[in-house]
Amino acid sequence: MRTNDVMLQTATKVVTFIILMFAVHIFFAGHYTPGGGFVGGLLTASAIVLLMLSFDIETVNKILPFNYVTMTAIGLLLAIATAAASIIFDVPFFTHAYDYFDLPLFGETSLHSAMLFDAGVYLVVVGVTMTIIQTIGEDE
Amino acid sequence: MALQILLNFFLAVVWMFMTVSFSPAGFAIGFIIGLGIIILMRRFFSYRLYTSRAWAIISLFLLFLKELFLSSIQVLRIVIKPNMNLKPAIFELETELKEDWEITLLSALITLTPGTLVVGISDDQKRLYIHALDFDDIDEAVSSIKETFERAILEVSRP
Repeated sequence: MRTNDVMLQTATKVVTFIILMFAVHIFFAGHYTPGGGFVGGLLTASAIVLLMLSFDIETVNKILPFNYVTMTAIGLLLAIATAAASIIFDVPFFTHAYDYFDLPLFGETSLHSAMLFDAGVYLVVVGVTMTIIQTIGEDE
Repeated sequence: MALQILLNFFLAVVWMFMTVSFSPAGFAIGFIIGLGIIILMRRFFSYRLYTSRAWAIISLFLLFLKELFLSSIQVLRIVIKPNMNLKPAIFELETELKEDWEITLLSALITLTPGTLVVGISDDQKRLYIHALDFDDIDEAVSSIKETFERAILEVSRP
């Protein structure tokens, strides 16, 4: 029996944006408050899963045409590059650096190189989760 | 288009509640992040992104400034010439524009650039009657208006 998913789809159209917004917030909150790349990545993946639940996989792939395997590779490269960058400055592997910058809008902000590592984690989590779900979902 | 702007404002307010930063800077950061998410999900909408229309409006304004500058110089040269053997004419321009505001905007732009002046619009809103101060070729004048202003207005009104 095919049911009319209009209510689910309409609600998804609004809720997806709020989940993605919350994912960005959780990702940036990671340094001082609970959160970080892993939870942010899972939240992003859950937003895409919600899209897949209310629409079908082909539609979602058309809306977000990402190759999630490549995304995982880029995330791993970003993480290893951040870790390896410390070697250039003659400090042990995985040493991070930070400094305070006066950015417009944000005011005085401390930018930490761990954020780049977290971005790598974020990409890997989104990529791996979506690869698992897509592979299972497309299996007939 | 209006729906996308509304969604962007809504996301900015959601961001302010999430981060507990009720300041203009918090709103601006939320607006930028919301814009990023809307751009990421742009294929979700059946019509184009509102930023592209905002850009079309800006480029129409820049085009108007450029035409104003160039044709002002042209009229200045006509005025200071010792012998003014002008060839004034009224010609007809068929327009593809449909909406009232589009035709008003096109007429205003033609009138504001020196050298040409809209003297009348036909009843079925398909033709503009334009007075030109000095012209060499009607086809050239028609096609230059069509290629600049009309195309830029169409770019703005495209859904």
